[in-house]
Amino acid sequence: MADRTEKQAAAQQAVDILHEISTLLNCHLDRRTLSICISMIENGVNPEALAEVVKELRNEGQNMQLEAAAAAAGASSRRR
Amino acid sequence: MAFLAQLGEQTDELVDAIVGIPESDQETRNIFREAVLRLLRNHTYLRTNQFEVEDRLKGLEERFRVIGRDALADAFHKRLEAYEPHHNKFTPDVFHFLLELADQPAQNTQLTA
Repeated sequence: MADRTEKQAAAQQAVDILHEISTLLNCHLDRRTLSICISMIENGVNPEALAEVVKELRNEGQNMQLEAAAAAAGASSRRR
Repeated sequence: MAFLAQLGEQTDELVDAIVGIPESDQETRNIFREAVLRLLRNHTYLRTNQFEVEDRLKGLEERFRVIGRDALADAFHKRLEAYEPHHNKFTPDVFHFLLELADQPAQNTQLTA
């Protein structure tokens, strides 16, 4: 039990350090996203392909936000 | 099979963390999930070369010093050293991933106290 807690603490600490490194490298990753990505890499996902996926998802997320903002602006102008 | 199920779960979490599609919009979530899984399965990237990753990390630290960002170089070096005890067989892959996402750190990284 104590051994498991120790392992968990060590894993947490490792993610903390990696998050600090990602901040220094200006990777724009939050801790949750970084943890998920580390798990995926440990599950055998290619790191370069995963980085490409993260970039694509960010672009898609931005596009969706812009579309939502445009739709909201269109709806409010129609109401006037 | 367990591998695919786990990868599917992690993909959902990743899409959720970055794009944040509401749970009610299951159709869009599925489209994203399939697109991501396709990208992860059908890529043409080579396996990570650990020596190349080490060189890139050292090169970055050196670059920080060359352009006079010694505090950033020191902070970077300190974190890399602190990570040493946690080194495992996936470490080069994780650093490779971070290096691919690095966004002009020499110019743009702001150090806070």
